[in-house]
Amino acid sequence: MLLLDYQNVLIESLLRDRFAEGASPISIDQVVSDFDGVTFHISTPESKTKILVSISVRCFPELLQYGAQSVLEREYGPHIVPAEQGYDFSVQIDLEALPADAEARDNLVRRVSLLKRNAMAAPFEQAFDEFAERQEEASKYTSESAPQGLLEGGEVRAIHYREEEAIFIRASHDRVTVIFSTRFSDETDRIFGKVFLQEFVDARRRAIQNAPQVQFRNDPPLELQDVPGLEASRDIGYITFVLFPRHLAKQRREETISHIQTFRDYFHYHIKASKAYIHSRMRRRTADFLQVLRRARPENEEKERKTASGRTFRVQA
Amino acid sequence: MARQSQSLRPYLQCVRASLTAALSLSNFASQASERHNVPEIEAKSSPELLLNPLCVARNDNEKMLIEPSVNSVRVSIKIKQADEIENILVHKFTRFLTQRAEAFFVLRRKAVKGYDISFLITNTHTEEMLKHKLVDFIIQFMEEVDKEISEMKLFLNARARFVAESFLTPFD
Amino acid sequence: MSQVNWRTINVDALDPDSALNFDMSTLTPAVTPVSASEVQGLAGQIRQLLRGGDHEGALRGALESVPYGADEKGKEIHLHTVIEILQSIRQSEMSPLLSRIYQSEGGSELLDVLMKYLYKGMSHTTPTGGAKQMAPQATGFSQIHPLRTGDGGGQAMSVFLSWHEKLVEIAGPGSIVRVMCDRRTV
Repeated sequence: MLLLDYQNVLIESLLRDRFAEGASPISIDQVVSDFDGVTFHISTPESKTKILVSISVRCFPELLQYGAQSVLEREYGPHIVPAEQGYDFSVQIDLEALPADAEARDNLVRRVSLLKRNAMAAPFEQAFDEFAERQEEASKYTSESAPQGLLEGGEVRAIHYREEEAIFIRASHDRVTVIFSTRFSDETDRIFGKVFLQEFVDARRRAIQNAPQVQFRNDPPLELQDVPGLEASRDIGYITFVLFPRHLAKQRREETISHIQTFRDYFHYHIKASKAYIHSRMRRRTADFLQVLRRARPENEEKERKTASGRTFRVQA
Repeated sequence: MARQSQSLRPYLQCVRASLTAALSLSNFASQASERHNVPEIEAKSSPELLLNPLCVARNDNEKMLIEPSVNSVRVSIKIKQADEIENILVHKFTRFLTQRAEAFFVLRRKAVKGYDISFLITNTHTEEMLKHKLVDFIIQFMEEVDKEISEMKLFLNARARFVAESFLTPFD
Repeated sequence: MSQVNWRTINVDALDPDSALNFDMSTLTPAVTPVSASEVQGLAGQIRQLLRGGDHEGALRGALESVPYGADEKGKEIHLHTVIEILQSIRQSEMSPLLSRIYQSEGGSELLDVLMKYLYKGMSHTTPTGGAKQMAPQATGFSQIHPLRTGDGGGQAMSVFLSWHEKLVEIAGPGSIVRVMCDRRTV
């Protein structure tokens, strides 16, 4: 598994089982964890045929502020129910009122399993819309005559989706800048992270010309100069993705949003995977060393020891 | 790079000769406390039991210190570290090894200051094990560590590149 | 006085009969003190020989007049003199030269002294090396490191290593043992 899935696989398989032809309804009560401290609760509180899926996101108030409500209403419309106690948002699926054709059912499964992605997508969608407006506005002027502020880019949308890490999104007339702040928990992570990020930065120059431009630094980049409370330290990395109009086109938008959301987890996942691999290598190499050292021991031949009277005895193990 | 590997052979040759000479150990009971028998190079209980230390160096970043005494020799190695990545890899690897010092008999739990890893060889070791094989072990250790570190670094770079390109390709 | 932790006092150190207070001077042969300026003068003479192209004479001279009795500074000066001689001799000349010294009278002792200087030279770190900053990581993109200036003493070390190899061939491993055991240090 190289790239991370956008949907929650557990929810997906759970719903698919229940939606299957001839599956009998059962009672469910499961808490499912996802990346970034997101938890889901899947349950059947009223009856076995009514599945309630609730999500808890750390930064839900922020997401609401950036228009999450409308995005979620668009995606889940009739399924939305008042949020369950202790969770931020809930949808309910009635197994007795499922769409008749298989494709529509699949679509429903897919949409529910993308609950986290959709909740987090709101600020991105808002920023992409803002970009479109600004682009249109700017096209009316030449670069000299544009009114003050238009070319500089709009407000920074901040999503504090983890304890010490955040995503910042900023739209301007020719690009959308997405900045991830991430914390390296130890020295090894920091150095491995640096190697990985260097490759992200170089990839565009080397192989993938149309990829977003990636920048990396340890202090807040210029785009975030107005955002208070940002630290500069060796343990913190600011990774900037510059999305160009080709990434923001209507038909690619969905995919771009899904994909860029997974960056932080993808990045750390591969740092951890590299550490694990290197650890296994060291283990193997250590075994080799021991083998070499063992060769230094002369073959200890089993000598038969006799007592003075000539009898042999064996030490009881 | 080619020039460097050329100088590796005389370095290891010199290490081999020096170690062979230094590993002439005999049983020697402690003079300070009765019925004790301790490695004098660690105890340093009397100055006449310690011999002159030998230093073998390939350059400032790769060297070996041999501290001989009457019944024990302490061998410390400084492993090449050209950059931050190699530094962390060496650190991780030597830590991994010293945590398993028990299994290695001759490995010291803590490296001597200024070096990355230390061995403590006592007369018991040279009596129980074949001396030339023990020297072989240390030489092979030095060779393999360098190789392992550079392989791990290459792996890390290759993986990083692959991971980065895989993530960015869908945008293309 | 109340600050002293009595448990950490090494009582052996206070006992004149303890092994810890072994009188090392009984093991060290008497050496005549040499002042740094005398060593300096000697270095001048040896350099003269070296300039005249008499490498063997220079090396012999330097090894015969080891300033065992000199202070740190004097020893340092002589070490540099020896290093200078070693560096000026070509690789192909090393073995024949060593053989000639070995076969001459007292040659074995001279080579033991040379061995001392080789180890001393290798333990000598180049002055710039200590404060060297850790190089920033080499990215995957450029695996070839730029040539480091001075090579961290690698050039000087490889001279010592070549000499060492040749010397062990001729004088044998016993020479190394004598370096460890001889209380007269260079």
